[in-house]
Amino acid sequence: MAPLRQLRPVLVGLCLATQWACAQTVELSKPKPKEKVAVTVSANPAAACWQHKLYGRTAEAVTCFTKLQESADPMARAEALWGLERYQDAVYQFQAAVKARPTDITPRIRLGTLFRQRYQPKDAGELLGEALELDEKNTDALLEMARVAGENYDRKAVEMVKQALEINPQLATAHELLARLSAEESNFKLATEHAEKALAISPQSVDAMAVLGAIDLLQEKPNTTWFERALKINPAYGEAYNIGGELLILNRRYNEGIELFRKAIATRPGLWEARARLGINLMRLGKEEEAYKELSATYEAGYKSFPVVNTLRLMDSYKNFQTFRNSRAIVRLHKKEASVLEPYFSSEMERIMAAYDRKYGGPVGVPVQVEVYPDHEDFAVRTMGMPGLGALGVSFGPIVAMDSPSGRKPGSFHWASTLWHEMSHVYALSITNYRVPRWFTEGLAVYEETAASPDWGDRLDPPTIIAIRDKKLLPVAELDRGFIRPSYPAQVTVSYFQAGRICQYIAQNWGYPKLIEILRDYGQSKKTPEVFQARLGISTEEFDKRFLPWLEQQNSKIVTGFKDWQERLKTVVTAYRAKNWDIVQAEAPALRDIYPEYVEAANPYEMLYEMHLAKKDQAAAMAELKRYSKAAGRDPKLLKELARMEEESGDKRAAAATLKRLLYIAPAQDEELHRRLGNLLLDEQDNLGAVREFRAAVASKPVDLASAQFALARAYRAAHQIDNAKDALFAALEAAPGYRPAQKMLLELTSSEKE
Amino acid sequence: MTALLASLSLAVSHVVTVAGLGGEPDYEQRFAAHAAEIEKLLKADSGTKVITLSGAGASRNAVINALQQVARESKADDAFALILIGHGTFDNTDYKLNLPGPDITAAELAPLLDRIAAGKQLIVNTTSASGASLMLLQRPNRTVITATKSGMEKNAPVFARYWVEAMRDPGADSDKNDTVTALEAYRYADQKTVAYYETQKRLATEHALLEDAGSGDGARAPSPENGKGQLAARFPLVRLGAAQKASLSPEKQLLLKKKEELEISIDKLKYQKAAMPAEEYRRTMQALLLELARVQGAIDK
Repeated sequence: MAPLRQLRPVLVGLCLATQWACAQTVELSKPKPKEKVAVTVSANPAAACWQHKLYGRTAEAVTCFTKLQESADPMARAEALWGLERYQDAVYQFQAAVKARPTDITPRIRLGTLFRQRYQPKDAGELLGEALELDEKNTDALLEMARVAGENYDRKAVEMVKQALEINPQLATAHELLARLSAEESNFKLATEHAEKALAISPQSVDAMAVLGAIDLLQEKPNTTWFERALKINPAYGEAYNIGGELLILNRRYNEGIELFRKAIATRPGLWEARARLGINLMRLGKEEEAYKELSATYEAGYKSFPVVNTLRLMDSYKNFQTFRNSRAIVRLHKKEASVLEPYFSSEMERIMAAYDRKYGGPVGVPVQVEVYPDHEDFAVRTMGMPGLGALGVSFGPIVAMDSPSGRKPGSFHWASTLWHEMSHVYALSITNYRVPRWFTEGLAVYEETAASPDWGDRLDPPTIIAIRDKKLLPVAELDRGFIRPSYPAQVTVSYFQAGRICQYIAQNWGYPKLIEILRDYGQSKKTPEVFQARLGISTEEFDKRFLPWLEQQNSKIVTGFKDWQERLKTVVTAYRAKNWDIVQAEAPALRDIYPEYVEAANPYEMLYEMHLAKKDQAAAMAELKRYSKAAGRDPKLLKELARMEEESGDKRAAAATLKRLLYIAPAQDEELHRRLGNLLLDEQDNLGAVREFRAAVASKPVDLASAQFALARAYRAAHQIDNAKDALFAALEAAPGYRPAQKMLLELTSSEKE
Repeated sequence: MTALLASLSLAVSHVVTVAGLGGEPDYEQRFAAHAAEIEKLLKADSGTKVITLSGAGASRNAVINALQQVARESKADDAFALILIGHGTFDNTDYKLNLPGPDITAAELAPLLDRIAAGKQLIVNTTSASGASLMLLQRPNRTVITATKSGMEKNAPVFARYWVEAMRDPGADSDKNDTVTALEAYRYADQKTVAYYETQKRLATEHALLEDAGSGDGARAPSPENGKGQLAARFPLVRLGAAQKASLSPEKQLLLKKKEELEISIDKLKYQKAAMPAEEYRRTMQALLLELARVQGAIDK
């Protein structure tokens, strides 16, 4: 049986990650040194029954399992109950078997397998860890543990399968598993080798056939016969299509993956894993009605995996969302913040599409749907059916789901940058018909963020500095691996950075149009070495030889001096906390200049700003905050402070620009921001901008509704929208009938009406 | 609300503010600063007698003495406010306000407050676990506000910060009548507190309550529907400039009377809004608002 994979943060969509993003871990129990006990391995008492089930002989399977559940052996009863889909009862019997046979490894492996299949990878890991403690060379336990790790994209999965193969090189199932794992990494050559080895050992290896079928489809061979060959061996083996479907989904070939899930269900209607995947992927493509139908059917049939339950719950909550449409874009926002955020998202979508239509050579053929979730866990469920995702946004072709700016702590998230990133994926996937490799589309999306505005995008972070210093960057031809199955915790974020810089390097040295040419080549299913040779005139190896030194040189100051920088920063922070301003003044500027991108906690800019304030040098304090803002500092408190200083110094235009920057960072739940910016824009005679801001202030449900409505009335009046001004004025006076400035405007408008 | 608009012209006459034990220098300073600012804001109204107890001066005896002094001095038509700032505790039996030396319990405060003759009373308990004091302190003609909904919310609340902000921010005067009432200050502080936890992405560990019916539970969102907020809406906490002047200008009483009549009509119309055609409501309301604006213009001349 092919289980529904639980944690799919990395591969299902194209996501913009935070640190540790897109990678989750289930702690796998490590085998401890084996104690000398006589370990036994018992045969599966239900092997014959499982064969019936595997081959679609349902009546025979039920008869066989029913008879077996009368057995006196708890292990046999457990297998029977499992076969009869009484999972909880099966767990109890397995637990009894584990207790009754403390040195028998088999009950632990089987219970671990059941747990994995029934969406409890942590419990599975624990049981299999116990099994490996009894016998670290048990290949069944190793392979099952590898499956648990593989579902979480843990690199240990490959190591464990290799370990099993060292013990028994003739293990067909190990080669099958390694084929799947390699295919997941898009290493089709290796995947094919292992699938063929599995078939050479056992010609009945239907999972190997499924992998080969999926590889054929991924390599543009639609007439593959592998699925038919698998079905000839077992006509009820819908799992073959299920495996193939998943590999296509992992490579973002959503429509083809969905078709394989449909075939899986047609082959075996009771294959609920496939139906669940079908529902979830239909939802990813925005086909919500059908998705809901499939997921409900799955749930009703008792297949209540977390992704199914979570996704159904999320879909039920869509009644709380409001949808805004035009001919090219659909924006879905939560009702509680829709009126505040809609103007910003809609206008940004227009801006993005105008820019990308030009850059990518034309529009996407279908409307793009952007879903914005104020609750991060809803976004996570939308993305992979499970909470706990570290990403900020994700794109499934023309569907983009992302965090709302209100979903994260103000200052920690640049929503517009994320939207530009995800929209770049929408175009890249469309141009290449979903054939673009992950590293390139991520790199291009990262590049587009800073191309939109230099202070957008993610900064060079400490894990990336360490990775550059320790020469941990991957060759460009293997960069996908850093996204899919990272070998160290920060490798996903490091790979984003590297991919973004590769695109920057190409744009600088060969020109931006080369990036689009490369994209089009990928659309023809060409591989990176071939594409680089054709478009850049160099091999990928030569590219690495030029790019990596360039990158190191670009960041040489901080890469070579990072450890020293860390130590010196500690000293300055201590001085800062003690208000020892002379040390801060002496040391912090150098630290700032060595690593100017560092704008996070305890950054030199903020310490220097505070130092200047303490020394009553307002001009220097403002200059420091300007540096902070230019270096992409995003703390709303500091940016508002900068705007205040700029306004007080008479530079209202700069103050407005600073607050406008904040609109891209934290526009929700901040009435003060909208009011202040509205007033500045009114002064600048940007009356329509002021209207937008005061409307946002009113929509923020302020305590002082009357004055917010009155400010809106002023802006409308300045924009010569008198009827709207009267409406806002009416709302202000309805809330506060005695509000003198509003009364005065009412008298003025009434008097000018008479005239 | 409108029937007692005239009584809004009365100032809050006695205020006792207690800033309890901080435990740490940071809290100590914060509590004392809140109390000092309240005193400063209230002293702007010359008719208000303010007693502020903070630091070592905020002992149990000092609190008792202050409340006894108010009991001696206040009259039935006075308005009295007690504002408690600091750490509170609840041991499933007693609510205690932490003070230097022995603490004081809600059960001890209640009889002291009952001896005060002031016809309008406001108790604002901004401490942790303050919800546990609500039932003991409630009484007819008294508004009780607590920063937490029960004694189980034990983390230091931020409500006090926003209560003080409400007293100084003209934005808290939501109906722009130049008076921040207890209800307006409550709504302001509560909304800001909720926003604080939302923007910080923290689980809210405080949920403020208001009770002014003299019985029953406090309400998170006082409204005519839950029968809370009417008394608080008539408790004038802080006067802003214009109202003070108006109350000191007897020659404008005729215009003020007309103004009050118009305000009553506007309030009545608001209550009828749901039951009348939208166009008719708007037309009638516009006419009343225009007339009110004219009368106000005459008062301001």
